[in-house]
Amino acid sequence: MKYLFLLGFAGVASAQQPTTAPEPLPLKPAAFPPFQEAVLPNGLRLVVVENHRLPVVSLSLSFPAGKLVDPPGKEGLAAMAAGLLTKGAGTRTGDQVAEAIERVGGSIGAGAGNDFLTISAGVLSKDAALAFDLTGDAAVRPRFDPTEISLLRTQTLSGLDLERSEPGSLAARVLDQMVFGEHPYAKHPTPGSVTSFVRSDLLAFQKSRLKPAGALLVVAGDITLAQARRHAIRAFKGWLGRPAPLPAVEPLPARTRTDIYLVHRPGSVQSNILAANLTYRPGDPRHYAAVVANRVLGDGADSRLFKILREQKSWTYGAYSSLDRHRAGGTFTASTEVRTEVTDSAVAEMMTQLRRIGTEPVAAAELAAAKSASTGSYPLSVQTAEQVAGAVTSVRLYGLAPDYLETYRLKIGAVTGAEVLAAAKALIRPEGMVVVVVGDGAQVLAGLKPIGPVTILDVDGKPLNESDLNPSAAPLPFAVDRLTAGRDSFTIRAQGNPLGWSVTTVEDTPDGKRLTEHTNIGGFVEQQTTVDIAASGAMLRVRQRGAVQGQPTSIELGYAEGRVKGNASTVAKEGLKSVVIDTTVAAGTIDDNAIQGLLPSLPWSATANWSFAVFSGGQNESKTTTLKVVGVETVVLPGGPVEAYKVDFSGGWQPATFWVSTAVPHRLLKIGVANTPVEVVRAK
Amino acid sequence: MHRRLSLACLALVPLAVGSAQVVPKIPIESYRLGNGLRVILSPDHSSQVVTVSVWYNAGSRNEVRGRTGFAHLFEHMMFQGSANVKKGDHFALVERAGGQTNASTAEDRTNYFEMLPSNRLNLGLWLEADRMRSLAVTDSNLANQREAVKEERRLLVDNQPYRGVLFEGIYAQQDSASCFPYAHSIIGSMADLNAAKAPDVQAFFDLYYAPNNATLVVAGDFEPAATRDLITQYFGPIPAGREPPAVTCQASFNSGQVRRPWPDPKATLPGTFVAYRIPAYDDADYPAVALLGTMLGQGESSRLNRTVVRQKQLAQAAFTFVNSQAPRRGPGVFLIGTIANQGVSAAALERAMADEIDDVATHGVSAAELDKAKNGYLATKIQQQQISLFLAEAIQEATMFLGDPNKVNTDPARYQAVTVEDIRRVAAKYLVPDNSLVLLVTPEGAK
Repeated sequence: MKYLFLLGFAGVASAQQPTTAPEPLPLKPAAFPPFQEAVLPNGLRLVVVENHRLPVVSLSLSFPAGKLVDPPGKEGLAAMAAGLLTKGAGTRTGDQVAEAIERVGGSIGAGAGNDFLTISAGVLSKDAALAFDLTGDAAVRPRFDPTEISLLRTQTLSGLDLERSEPGSLAARVLDQMVFGEHPYAKHPTPGSVTSFVRSDLLAFQKSRLKPAGALLVVAGDITLAQARRHAIRAFKGWLGRPAPLPAVEPLPARTRTDIYLVHRPGSVQSNILAANLTYRPGDPRHYAAVVANRVLGDGADSRLFKILREQKSWTYGAYSSLDRHRAGGTFTASTEVRTEVTDSAVAEMMTQLRRIGTEPVAAAELAAAKSASTGSYPLSVQTAEQVAGAVTSVRLYGLAPDYLETYRLKIGAVTGAEVLAAAKALIRPEGMVVVVVGDGAQVLAGLKPIGPVTILDVDGKPLNESDLNPSAAPLPFAVDRLTAGRDSFTIRAQGNPLGWSVTTVEDTPDGKRLTEHTNIGGFVEQQTTVDIAASGAMLRVRQRGAVQGQPTSIELGYAEGRVKGNASTVAKEGLKSVVIDTTVAAGTIDDNAIQGLLPSLPWSATANWSFAVFSGGQNESKTTTLKVVGVETVVLPGGPVEAYKVDFSGGWQPATFWVSTAVPHRLLKIGVANTPVEVVRAK
Repeated sequence: MHRRLSLACLALVPLAVGSAQVVPKIPIESYRLGNGLRVILSPDHSSQVVTVSVWYNAGSRNEVRGRTGFAHLFEHMMFQGSANVKKGDHFALVERAGGQTNASTAEDRTNYFEMLPSNRLNLGLWLEADRMRSLAVTDSNLANQREAVKEERRLLVDNQPYRGVLFEGIYAQQDSASCFPYAHSIIGSMADLNAAKAPDVQAFFDLYYAPNNATLVVAGDFEPAATRDLITQYFGPIPAGREPPAVTCQASFNSGQVRRPWPDPKATLPGTFVAYRIPAYDDADYPAVALLGTMLGQGESSRLNRTVVRQKQLAQAAFTFVNSQAPRRGPGVFLIGTIANQGVSAAALERAMADEIDDVATHGVSAAELDKAKNGYLATKIQQQQISLFLAEAIQEATMFLGDPNKVNTDPARYQAVTVEDIRRVAAKYLVPDNSLVLLVTPEGAK
């Protein structure tokens, strides 16, 4: 380093680094930053937090119009309406709103939570007028253009699909359902509810819910009360009235035992664990003691959950707990994500810590540390005008004591150990909790059972049986002589649009049957597969040739004497993956390329449910898979409607659904590939 | 209106935004201690918060073969205790003070920070000095943090859709033989993490975590004179280390398209991710490249959002990242990503993305569009000054990637000077098929 000796002016240190952490310096007195309040002639409440350090202004306009007001069957309406408020309003289309705000480097958006719908905007202060105008348009004059509705609906549906693949989203959804029971907080949008909204629903929502009385406008930053008032009066001109009364809703459920809900996510490499119970309504005097108890338990890296689950046990990247505020009743939630093998240990340890905080007094040093953390973090929480505005918004919306912010540190400071113990005992209830585990059920179920009663669900929330997790294989009861020589054609479609075709044939051969399949998908996939089956039903030979996105693929397999030998070249992440195959297979194992062709030869009924061994050459691996009839449906084919068994295929490398005609001889009518819009439909 | 202020001019006057807005100049005091530690002070008394930020000039690009992921694993070790700080106490002391502390590892640097109530500045400085001087390297700490890192990998990458392609896929852009520093991921491989031993940690510490390879920034509510004394007392006695070896990368541009299928076991919808090679942060083309990224894929009214998401409804999300982790002193990544709507193939997305790029490279962008991107850039720069941590990080960035902390005030002028012709030129120069890595995500999400 060339500067090393040139710049010695920093001097030689005389004092050494102290061996203990330095004592705090005196703290300058800090009052909560001042803010001003006013009520506009139309009843809109206005709060202004002035801060002229930087030329920025933020706005937030909140209404009591969250999930709580979604009508039954219209779950997600408030959220969808919120999403559309800023996608076209007043004289501007959606594109024009985005253009207007982004042209000045600003932002605008809206969202709905459990209790409130909020429109927020942020701009440089020279553009404050624009932010007010766009916010006013969004609240009072949204357009709900049909193209925007359709676009947001498509995005919401894709988003719901995406959620099924995200373990954190799955866990949160199931937790809400189980903790809140029949209360609207528990409701989640479904493809059905999202598809059902029409423009008149959205308009009715806006007309009845977004009114000035009961709404709160908070403006923060480089602006005065007089300026804000002037802008607000202009932007909200002619806007009058009060919202429809809030609907009567189911009470929050009381829970007297702890239940574990295991969401089966096969192949999950981690388990997401959440444990929660209801707590108290906003304004409860136990809040301060609860905050301190939560800090000791799981709020931050100095808390018990983090120190034990991460630093001592090395089970996780993080473990936390939190208190959430909702008008009808708050929640306490503990959370962590751990590797699959330690799932039960982590749940047990978490429950032990939840029990301990309510039964064992917190040591004086731990109490002091928790209180010091909760009060010391105060300057960090009011660094920006926007943070101050957020704090004021919460106080006003949830109806907290008017001096809540001013007295918060004092009240935290006064909390005693006895109050912490009492609050924890009353508010953190390991004997009446919902525990959600999202993970590989086959691997974690046995460990969870001793901890509490376990309900198993699939990612769509449908109940599963234990046998669905660990099916035991038996030979698939197909009959070779029910395979009749012939040819079938299928069209491959995505959302009704043709993508390609597939032709399958059955031929008689000297030693049994030959199944062939020739598939072409839009020039991206071109594959021809031949499977030879002995008259006894044993697999003989499999041959596949083709190309996926221009890369050649091939499979060449021979089954004999309990072994499969050959080679496979398939497309994988690294490029072409070639493997030499020589391994044992269980008696009765089916090649994965034979499954589709064998479907017509199975003895179908409404209760059919077969688990059997399948070998995949491409994966060089055997798995136990299941074909299970889950219902009877009418399938509309080019020739007319046909009654079919709906058959779930699971446990393999790609879940799928088959529709097989109930009439004999059984015919394969349609195939759906899980999580994709692709359908294979019989052509004739 | 002064749209064409020279750099020299801008250093002297407050930055003008648009027609009326004036941005306060960020104060910078910069000096070095005798042991080579670079110190930058930036006082501001508008809140009672102060940030201590330490950047080490070491990241994943300094890793050697067989030890990928090591810089990040090392970052975790920095919270495991030092001569006077017991294991776990770093978090505890900062949290009890009401502060926040964390760290992150990127390709070029590893950052550590404490954001504290201003009366606890001394704690932040003491903690950073203690671990710079005397990190506790033990086998048990290493074993414990190796497991935490593996869980972090499972949490952030392996168990989430579309993360593998972002955190690992894009590194296929550089060839491992010619540019190993930027050809492997930050998170590293599980095998390499398992192979790391305590002596590796000690050697990495000795080589890269010396004061002469670090920069200390203090930003927010503090008194400079007293703070200088404290810094001298705490950091002054730490001995300098030897100079770390140079990092070499033979960056190649336009060396032919690389295509990779990326089966994603957690994804349920196809995605197309195209990564283009771009020059270093201080390159003359970089501001135009960054603004092009904004215009293409950042914000509701960006081109990809307008066309691919909203008009054609092919994608549920479309975005661009320009060096998604942090800036680089070597070749960087301009990433365009799209996640399909139901029923749309990865190939259809790729075509739609290519159409947008062709349009910019052929017809350029409008002046209004460029102004919008510039305004967005400036507004972000102003917004980030509200929080002392973000300000400290911006000063660190200017110091490491532009070579001078004062450039935190002057660098925005480079962006204001970009012309519509610059945008068309860099689009035609860098966003071409021969300069791209195409990652086609195939969904293999389990039901």
